[in-house]
Amino acid sequence: MILRRTTLAGALALTRAEIADMFQYRVVLFLYSLWEVVHPIVYLAVWGAIAGEGDVGGLRLSDFAAYYLTFMLVSHVTAAIEIYTFGPMIQQGELSPHLLRPMNPVWVAAARNISYKSVSMLLLIPVWIGLVIILRPTFSITAGSALLFVVALVVAALLSFLVGTTFALLAFWTTRSFSFWEIWIGLTFLLGGQIAPVELLPGFVQNLATALPMRYTLGFPIEVLLNRLDAGELALGFVLQFAWLIAAALIVRTVWRAGIRQYSAVGA
Amino acid sequence: MPPDISVRQLVKHYVVPERAGGLRASFRSVLRRKHRLVRAVDGISFEVERGEVVGFLGPNGAGKTTALKVLSGLLHPTDGQVDVLGYTPWDRRAEYLSRITLIMGQRQQLFWDLPAADSFLVNKAVFGIDDAVYKRTVDLLTELLDLGDLLTKPVRQLSLGERMKVELAAGLLHTPRVLFLDEPTIGLDVTMQQRIREFVTAYNAETGATVLLTSHYMADVKALARRVIVIDQGKLLYDGALAGLVQRYAPHKTITVHLERSVDLPDLNGQAEVLSVEGLQVTVRAGKDDAPEVTGRLLTQLPIADLSVEDPPLEEVIDQVFRGDGP
Repeated sequence: MILRRTTLAGALALTRAEIADMFQYRVVLFLYSLWEVVHPIVYLAVWGAIAGEGDVGGLRLSDFAAYYLTFMLVSHVTAAIEIYTFGPMIQQGELSPHLLRPMNPVWVAAARNISYKSVSMLLLIPVWIGLVIILRPTFSITAGSALLFVVALVVAALLSFLVGTTFALLAFWTTRSFSFWEIWIGLTFLLGGQIAPVELLPGFVQNLATALPMRYTLGFPIEVLLNRLDAGELALGFVLQFAWLIAAALIVRTVWRAGIRQYSAVGA
Repeated sequence: MPPDISVRQLVKHYVVPERAGGLRASFRSVLRRKHRLVRAVDGISFEVERGEVVGFLGPNGAGKTTALKVLSGLLHPTDGQVDVLGYTPWDRRAEYLSRITLIMGQRQQLFWDLPAADSFLVNKAVFGIDDAVYKRTVDLLTELLDLGDLLTKPVRQLSLGERMKVELAAGLLHTPRVLFLDEPTIGLDVTMQQRIREFVTAYNAETGATVLLTSHYMADVKALARRVIVIDQGKLLYDGALAGLVQRYAPHKTITVHLERSVDLPDLNGQAEVLSVEGLQVTVRAGKDDAPEVTGRLLTQLPIADLSVEDPPLEEVIDQVFRGDGP
């Protein structure tokens, strides 16, 4: 698909307007951001209690602090919100005005995603800095790991957006797309590096986590930044992350095409 | 020159789930879903020439909106061929979408919390309108629709009528060549309806755009369209001049007389029916063929101050068409 010049300009203008619009919802954003701060702190508290003065699988309290503080930012950047923003648009027929524009409405979902994250990031950053000062994590970061982290983070955000969009598109067929989304959320909780860093998972579960896409939307960029992977694991991780990204892009395209025919069949 | 819009045997059927109310029906529908086929559009054909303004009439559920949605590319038809400006609408090609607009009375494309100007800028970018053209178009629309400072107020603070004007402007920024207007005046007060009508007339004259509009208000149709297409239950009932519709379907005329003084009415031989007597004003209805004779008798037998013979209101004619009482 060739990206039209006006599509890019349109997406930019749309993002600008979405950001301006998002500022109207400061309180709601603040509450969401609060949740994003609270839940990694809970995981950290649990792992901190288990580790005590010692370590768990080689991770000390300050390592857990580094992991979950990074998690806080990464999970924010890669959060998929399409089930809340794009799904309802399809269900309530609000897609029609967007279908009349010479730009794929998936760009509307993308613009909303970016605007939500950039505005709420402004609220999250000061809290995050405060927590770094209090918790004193050990960030073992190098220039190389930081560079690779940026790549892994961008791909993770894209992959997560495409996965979120796929689940949102299920709204073309069912009013219960949330149920399917819950399954994804559950799997990410277990296998994505949320309840525990993937390296602490038992052997076969770890293999599962390595193969499935959830880790590549969340845990993988954190592991890259904190230098938790050897060269082989790093290479395999990037190969799989890109493979899942391509797969997700193809899936979104297929589901969108089928969905739009379905939308059209039931009466837009 | 080929017509701007060409529709051949357009068919659009929907399958909709159906169940009775109540808990039992609810349980039953879990095991066995019933479906019903809705023939929203059932084989209609017509053409619209460049620059024409055509009224699309029909009762609720006649298939008007469905037809407009197919024409604007939102819906895939079940069968039939449609060609608008040389494009097949449901391919939804960017070049096609840049040349048309569909404006629906109830739908909104504007950001609710932002001034409409922000939404306009999004459309400007999406449609790739260059600065000079954009400025000229906004100026023209502001003047024709009397937008004043409406563009700088948050949309949520606009009244329904103001919002409709702004929606209309947003849908026309890219100066489309074909306008599909679905109930553009719904819910508006009489003054605002009038304003929108004047605008559509002026826009059509100014740009030579082709307009296909649906409306429940006959005043809209009378003011805007010389040609009407009437559909009911998905089928085309009439396609032609508005005047011809009245001619063909109005079986009677309404005769109103103002008397100089109160008198008994003459015997009308069953040729006319008295509709109302209000003070010195009497309204009777006579068959189209009997109208001249009835009028003559009234003139010779009554002390008449004033007399008028009119076609029945368009609403009544349309009602006649839908009830199938016509010739």
